[in-house]
Amino acid sequence: MTRRIPALVVCVAAVIALVVPLFLPDLSFYIQMILAAVIVTGLSLFMGYAGQASLGHGAFVAVGALTVAVMTVRLGLPPLLALICAPILAAVFAYIVGLPLLRLRGHYLAFGTLALLLIVQAVIATVPFFGGGLGIFGVPPLGVGDAVISGQLPYVYLSLAVLALALLISRNVIRSRFGRGVRALAGSESAAASSGVPVLRTKLAVFALSAAFAGLAGGIMAFFTPYVSSESFPVATSIAYIIMAVIGGLGSLWGGVIGAVLVSLLVQVLNAVSNQPGLPATTGPVLQYGAYALVLILALLFIPKGIVPTIAQAMRRRRDRRADAAAPTDVAVEPWASVQG
Amino acid sequence: MLTVTSLSRAFGGVYATKDVSVTVPEGELRGVIGPNGAGKSTLFNLIGGHLRANAGSIEFGGARVDRLPVHRRARLGIAIVFQGARLFPEMSVLENVMVGANAATRAGAVAAALRLPSQRNEERGIRQRAFAALGRVGLAAWAERDAEALPLGQQRRLQVARALMGEPRLLLLDEPASGLRAAEREDLSELITELHREGMTIMLIEHDVSMVMRLADKITVLDLGEVIAEGTPAEIRRNQRVIDAYLGGEAAHADAE
Repeated sequence: MTRRIPALVVCVAAVIALVVPLFLPDLSFYIQMILAAVIVTGLSLFMGYAGQASLGHGAFVAVGALTVAVMTVRLGLPPLLALICAPILAAVFAYIVGLPLLRLRGHYLAFGTLALLLIVQAVIATVPFFGGGLGIFGVPPLGVGDAVISGQLPYVYLSLAVLALALLISRNVIRSRFGRGVRALAGSESAAASSGVPVLRTKLAVFALSAAFAGLAGGIMAFFTPYVSSESFPVATSIAYIIMAVIGGLGSLWGGVIGAVLVSLLVQVLNAVSNQPGLPATTGPVLQYGAYALVLILALLFIPKGIVPTIAQAMRRRRDRRADAAAPTDVAVEPWASVQG
Repeated sequence: MLTVTSLSRAFGGVYATKDVSVTVPEGELRGVIGPNGAGKSTLFNLIGGHLRANAGSIEFGGARVDRLPVHRRARLGIAIVFQGARLFPEMSVLENVMVGANAATRAGAVAAALRLPSQRNEERGIRQRAFAALGRVGLAAWAERDAEALPLGQQRRLQVARALMGEPRLLLLDEPASGLRAAEREDLSELITELHREGMTIMLIEHDVSMVMRLADKITVLDLGEVIAEGTPAEIRRNQRVIDAYLGGEAAHADAE
């Protein structure tokens, strides 16, 4: 509510997001950016609103991507069915692993989720049915019956639609009884429980929801790439999701989108730089990791709450000051019982 | 309403609560006093479910609750106002109070994501009741502020408003007046009296003995984790054990006021 972004800004951003891909020669980068925004929006629900940590959100992207690859390539099931199952299976998976995992707190939870990602990678790499050492090639294009998506552009618009859906669901959930319970957990678990919030069940529900977003993004990725292997979900990418969430602003609806766009653009620029002739092949990764570290440190030093909350707070302060100037000063010392009954 | 039987809880071999039995009938305002470390807060945490007892039982409204998790007890109508603020700092004052309604409402995540009509109706009701609760504790003008920006006295009021949102049948108040100014104490006393008059069962821990004596129907005195006396304020004031263990100086002090 107080973290609302003016509708005009959203409309302009939406138009830009829809028009830009028409002028880009290759949309791989763009689609990765949009899907990262979907994943980080979910991650921000879990980390920002519920106050939990996940270093291994790539695990749920993997489950979604693998759902699509296995169902279409291995089992020959319809692509659309596979895409619908991707977020559902990711959520179910999160719920099951969350039962033990979410009893951990703080650093332990962070390491637990990281371990989860490593386990998922190892399982994909060793079980041939899930791709084994080679991965699963030849995921068919998304479509219904004979109507099949061709080219990159439809995937971009599908991803944008999914992002809009993720934002809408997040907004509705945050501004609800359930969402208030989620946010209360981050403040004080004991006080939240005393207010009737079932602590573990609420954490599980948010975890599953954020995993569903990641799984859906992973499913689209599988169709787009169209290849899934154990190396499709590196730990560095999961770390990047967190950096995006922190820079954009944990606990803000739009923070995930802003963070994903900014960090993706930065990485893209660095890639362009490192691809200049005459530079060693290691320039790319070195620049990228260096940039992650630098950006994260700068953000934590100067805008620890992230971009969106910092701006929102400045706007709210200004409004409160104006309200204080307008209101009679005795409001502040109004006696406790004067408005009883 | 509440029957606590032979309740014990030890921390590393030291009993914080030892064989405590307390019965609070419906509608009673029960004061709980005792020196520091007497086990008053531990007793409240055991009743609210924040701590598990090592032995003994807790019955509330005719059913055993001592194995239930905190949120289930909250749904049954046990509300607690903690000694420390324990607010939800990232949320507005109004939202803090609205969380309190979770104990008395239903709509879940799916209904919220889809914005079902039933969920929207419930939301509207919660919002209205939250404004009413804020008005009742005199915080209506602060509804949209950040909760963490409130001064201590108002944080306490906020907690009371949050507890009331759960429509409690038993309200546990753990030193609600500590750190408040005299006028704020007076206002708090009036609010407690009013809730009591409306029929709410209340347990009140308070260091300000004169305040407890004034408000409570009956008083339970704890010392070193055990009940050493129970009775009306007048009986407690005359009880030799209480005077020896604890009241002595303070009672004389309260009389002098």
